[in-house]
Amino acid sequence: MTTEPTVRTVTLTIDGRRVTVPAGTTVYQAARAAGIEIPIFCYHDRMPPLGACRMCLVKVDRMGKLQTSCTLPAGDGMVVSTTDPEVIAGQEAILEFLLINHPLDCPICDKGGECPLQDQTFRWGPGRSRFVEAKRDFAKPVSLGPILALDRERCILCWRCVRFGEIIAGDDALKGFERGWVSEINTPFTLPVESKFIGNTIAICPVGALTSRTYRFRARPWDNEPVPSTCTHCGLGCAVWFDVRGGEIVRTRAREAPAVNDVWLCDLGFFGHDYVASGERLTAPMVRRDGRLTEASWEEALDLVATRLRQARDRDPRRVAFLGGRRLSNEDALVAARLFGEVVGTPHRDHRVDAPPGGASLEVAWGLRAPLEEIGRGEVFLLVGCDVTEEYPILWLRMKAAVDRGAALLLLHARRLEVRRHARWERVVRADRLADETVSLAEALERGAAAGSPAAPAVAALAAGRGVHVFVGRFGLDGPGGGAVLAAAARIAARSGGTLHIARGKGNDLGAQRFGVLPGAGGWAAPEILQRAAAGDLDVLYVAGSDPATAVTDRRAWEAARRGVGFLVVHEAFRSATAEVADVVLPALVLPEKDGTVTNLEGRTLPLRAAVRGPGAARGDREIFSLIAARLGALFTYGTGDEGFAALRAAAPGIAPGAVLPVAPVPARSADRTAAPPTGASAGGAALILAPIDHLFTQGATTGRCRGITALAGAPHCLIHPDDAARLGVEPGALVELATEHGAAVLQARVTDATAPGQVLLPRGFDAVAAHALVRWPHAVAEVAVRPLAAVSAGSLP
Amino acid sequence: MATFAMPESILLRWAQTPGMTELEPYREAGGYEAARRVAAGELTPEAVIEALVASGLRGKGGAGFPTGQKWKFIPRNAPVTYVVVNGDEGEPCTFKDRTLLEGCPHLLVEGVLIAALTVGARKAYIYLRREFYRARRTLEAALAQARAAGLVGRGVFGSARDVEIVVHSGAGAYIAGEETALLESLEGRRALPRLRPPFPAQAGLYQRPTLLNNVETLCHVPVILTLGPQRYKDCGPPALFSVSGHVVRPGVYEAPLGVKLRSLIFDYAGGLRPGRRFKAAFPGGSSSMLLTEEYLDVPMDYDSLRVLGSMLGSAAVIVIDDSADMVEVIARTVEFYREESCGKCTPCREGTIWATQVLERILHGRGRPEDLTLLEGIAKGMTGTCFCPLGESVPPSLVASLRHFRDEYERHIAGAARDH
Amino acid sequence: MSGPAARPLGAEARAEIARLAGLYEHRQSALLPALFVAQREHGYLTPEALAGVAEALDLPLSEVVSVASFYSLLYLQPVGRHVIQVCTNLACMLNGCGAVVRRFRERLGVAPGGTTADGRFTLRTVECLAACEEAPAVLVDEDRWARVGPDDVDRVLERYP
Repeated sequence: MTTEPTVRTVTLTIDGRRVTVPAGTTVYQAARAAGIEIPIFCYHDRMPPLGACRMCLVKVDRMGKLQTSCTLPAGDGMVVSTTDPEVIAGQEAILEFLLINHPLDCPICDKGGECPLQDQTFRWGPGRSRFVEAKRDFAKPVSLGPILALDRERCILCWRCVRFGEIIAGDDALKGFERGWVSEINTPFTLPVESKFIGNTIAICPVGALTSRTYRFRARPWDNEPVPSTCTHCGLGCAVWFDVRGGEIVRTRAREAPAVNDVWLCDLGFFGHDYVASGERLTAPMVRRDGRLTEASWEEALDLVATRLRQARDRDPRRVAFLGGRRLSNEDALVAARLFGEVVGTPHRDHRVDAPPGGASLEVAWGLRAPLEEIGRGEVFLLVGCDVTEEYPILWLRMKAAVDRGAALLLLHARRLEVRRHARWERVVRADRLADETVSLAEALERGAAAGSPAAPAVAALAAGRGVHVFVGRFGLDGPGGGAVLAAAARIAARSGGTLHIARGKGNDLGAQRFGVLPGAGGWAAPEILQRAAAGDLDVLYVAGSDPATAVTDRRAWEAARRGVGFLVVHEAFRSATAEVADVVLPALVLPEKDGTVTNLEGRTLPLRAAVRGPGAARGDREIFSLIAARLGALFTYGTGDEGFAALRAAAPGIAPGAVLPVAPVPARSADRTAAPPTGASAGGAALILAPIDHLFTQGATTGRCRGITALAGAPHCLIHPDDAARLGVEPGALVELATEHGAAVLQARVTDATAPGQVLLPRGFDAVAAHALVRWPHAVAEVAVRPLAAVSAGSLP
Repeated sequence: MATFAMPESILLRWAQTPGMTELEPYREAGGYEAARRVAAGELTPEAVIEALVASGLRGKGGAGFPTGQKWKFIPRNAPVTYVVVNGDEGEPCTFKDRTLLEGCPHLLVEGVLIAALTVGARKAYIYLRREFYRARRTLEAALAQARAAGLVGRGVFGSARDVEIVVHSGAGAYIAGEETALLESLEGRRALPRLRPPFPAQAGLYQRPTLLNNVETLCHVPVILTLGPQRYKDCGPPALFSVSGHVVRPGVYEAPLGVKLRSLIFDYAGGLRPGRRFKAAFPGGSSSMLLTEEYLDVPMDYDSLRVLGSMLGSAAVIVIDDSADMVEVIARTVEFYREESCGKCTPCREGTIWATQVLERILHGRGRPEDLTLLEGIAKGMTGTCFCPLGESVPPSLVASLRHFRDEYERHIAGAARDH
Repeated sequence: MSGPAARPLGAEARAEIARLAGLYEHRQSALLPALFVAQREHGYLTPEALAGVAEALDLPLSEVVSVASFYSLLYLQPVGRHVIQVCTNLACMLNGCGAVVRRFRERLGVAPGGTTADGRFTLRTVECLAACEEAPAVLVDEDRWARVGPDDVDRVLERYP
């Protein structure tokens, strides 16, 4: 006999149909469950009901006035009608009211064809309007930044976008201003909207009031073919629809995936597809002849590569190394690992191209150690050296929901997080103090914190909470004292009975990790591969699914490596900085052009479906690897669909489509580490240090070719604390020169207390400003001098 | 003609006695004795509530909810409970709360103390509309006196009970007088009404159980406890009526609940201006349906007015004589709701702008015959569909004016037809 | 963060806002009173003033501006040294406030909503001031004027330099 807790139910009648639902269900939801459609505007089922638009009116026998079904809990024995003449009159009245000031923009409005206002007017509207006055008139459209276009005339003031910002994203990006009939949705002072989730407001807007400038006038929804796939930018693997028109992805939409992104997507996902159709895609192989890259045939290029590999293998297989994996699918990674591990026979394989030598990133497997749904049920989140909205925005949405239920958010980082307002405790410290601070917190938790001490609120939360989740991000792992940060974080997780997550990995890094793109026995990790290459120990360096010229955190180390290596082969979609110096460049497909799977940060296997064909003669990475293997005498067959999946399953038993195969918990031995090797023996007591930091809207080979992302990224900039700015005479927005002993860069200064005093933060990922040219291994930071540049009197700098 | 002898008041007299803004005169007249008894436990919370129930006191802010019942709804064991006083008197032509605040702030303070002690609140907020600058100064002075005398703050009346009272001013929004919108405003947000349930008694200020009462309502409480519910009822029970508009003596009058509208206008307020004839009156603020001459003998109480489709509301009688153009009056009234609409719900936000546009056209000589049916249609669309009573206040008088004064509308429209 | 740089409010203003925040269980309750503090200091709520309040109460700027814009007595545009508010609701309308408004308009040379060129007065028509026994009612700054007729307008204006 089962002893499940019984759920109290209620039974009501809607339009003559009896419906039984759990107590607490609203009449609207009960109707939906019974297949009865009730029109709505303001209601969105991921937010509490509002009852503002009045569209969902129904008649209830026991209640005199019409009721909004979205707010009314279903009552036992209730008799509800959605077709009573009073209801119909009410629906017609509401629609007539909404349309009196709504402009007849349908022919030129992007929302047409997927517009709830159109659909509901057609189905429930009065047919004619009696309005003969002048309609409300606003200047339109208004740009609220590079992506968002606001049309105040079309807005029906359903408040969905405002509530999304308040409830779901917690960024309060859009608000209502004024009141009554002059109410309008806007940002304060019509400034560019500040959000990483604005694409969602465009999606949930029931009219064409919020539209994307990148999609403006590009397609009607019936022109598009939606292809279900997975976003491969940040590594969370949100489910998406690629809308394809004319062989090109014109739009990305969120696809519902309850376990990962629910119904949401971040702006990197929404606006990060342009690169696929870029005219700069490589369409033919290139071979370096007489110092210049020139087009070649696949035959010639593959033969050359195979020859060099064979020569190297014959001399010593360990004179070959493979780097990359972030932009490879699981299938690509598996074949790459087999090609280099078995056919070539080298143990030197690593996807962790952006890890520094001796960094804690190299000591621990990357990934979340619990599924997102479980994290979302957590009660305490400690983020160490991790800026969740800049790195894994959809993860933040889970945390925000938990915070609204009372979860504690604790932040320890070298920068102030955007989400700090939702935090119960925050410490912002200079990068070279992060390790000590994390250790202090661990000690305070273990020994008890004095009431009133700075760590007390954090200790109280960690000690009391069940469902503790500790996240260590890239900045924490690879910054000064990263080993100590990791060890201390592990202590905190252990002491509080929580889970330690390594919030590290972008794209399909987890797939590369799972399917063998990691050093074999005696193999070198990525930094050592580069150092050995520089020393002349490598004959062939093979790069696929990565752009080391940009990603390696010491530009000079890369330069020395690529000069020292005998032969550099690169799979690339663009003429990236790496491709530019290669001996052979093989034009590869990008992930939206592939069928297959990827592995997200949870270790979940997610599907890829080719949305468009690749350009020119570009080929999939897996295919290229197989062609080379063939030339080396190994026949790789790989099936598609189930057959292909079987190969993956053989390599990683237990994986299943859509399911999580957990990444192994962080080994306890990490917790034993105390003194860390000097990854960031910082500039000691330097007055001002420079620390590169991750941000969401980077400008790399792919994201730099997405109009929307480029616009959102803005110009290269650095963050300087007001105290330092005052001391150095730096005005907000001024151009400054940052100079370390390794190099200099000119860029815009943002004066903000988001950084700690004595620390200049430099968002990496702008190709135009190589953050990695300013620091040197093994240090993650460098002493820096900041010099404001005199204004150009007759210049036109942006 | 017999001169009208105004009955003695038991409530208003507090505001009309000079010097009653000061603590000593108030105490000498018997003030704060009821509160003392409650603080000392001589009057238990149950006894207080029983007295209120027996008195029949109903909310004076407009909704008319039985006060004793409201106090009963507050759960006793909540960790934090609040009392919030609605002093956002904004219902057009209502000025009784302002009169009480400026004339006898201590009466309100005593009412607040009794309420807080009865429902177990340690903090009370008095939300005044910002325009009440004089009332606020008077009230703050009274609170300072009361604090100094140990009647407000820590250990009131020497008891172990704390009751702190904070005065909070609004920022200019009629909708903030709606009780849940007031809570939103007090929490520092836009004054948008909230969904109910949950009701403020369960989840009010900061989602804590909250007792929300109008200024006048709380002023009745010490009087009821002092006189006892029976005597209080025998004296009326007393209600405060704000009478204004086309009357000779506009002002606040205390009269028994159920007094005839005719008596209020012609006896208490001195009747119409010389040579003028009665045209119409709003019995309970502009949110109540206007009444024509045939209804002058209606008793001014909650039920009699409700039966007519009108309401006692804030008991603000606005008298209109035959010098007024009803279309102008209605247009101005609907415009008020348009200006004060919070904008949250469709029918109120759009209905008020649409209706005023039609009315403006009619007033400016561009009306059409079908506009009258149109106005009735707009009114119908706003009836029973709005989120809160603000929008629902528009249709009754609009429709009543179209019924009783259609000829005035038609005259405007005929003029338009003539001129075109 | 982009937007107007938060020029700090004066020390007194900040102290007052901090004191206000302490009166409530949640500090956002101090927002309306804080906005009036800032409005007094700057004359009206400039973007800097709003940013200053947001910073003082640690609230999002968008929320602060959204709330401020809802209420009639918070001015997000410059106003004159003195704000004249003439009630035009029913009792005052029935008692001839129209003529009062017209006289103010003539004397000041501005329409309701406007500010005199010398920055001395802003004229506004407003809703019921709850002073109907003294209709027509006029509020100038914090002073309530009773039974104002057109002929009283000059006397009223004189009082406000």
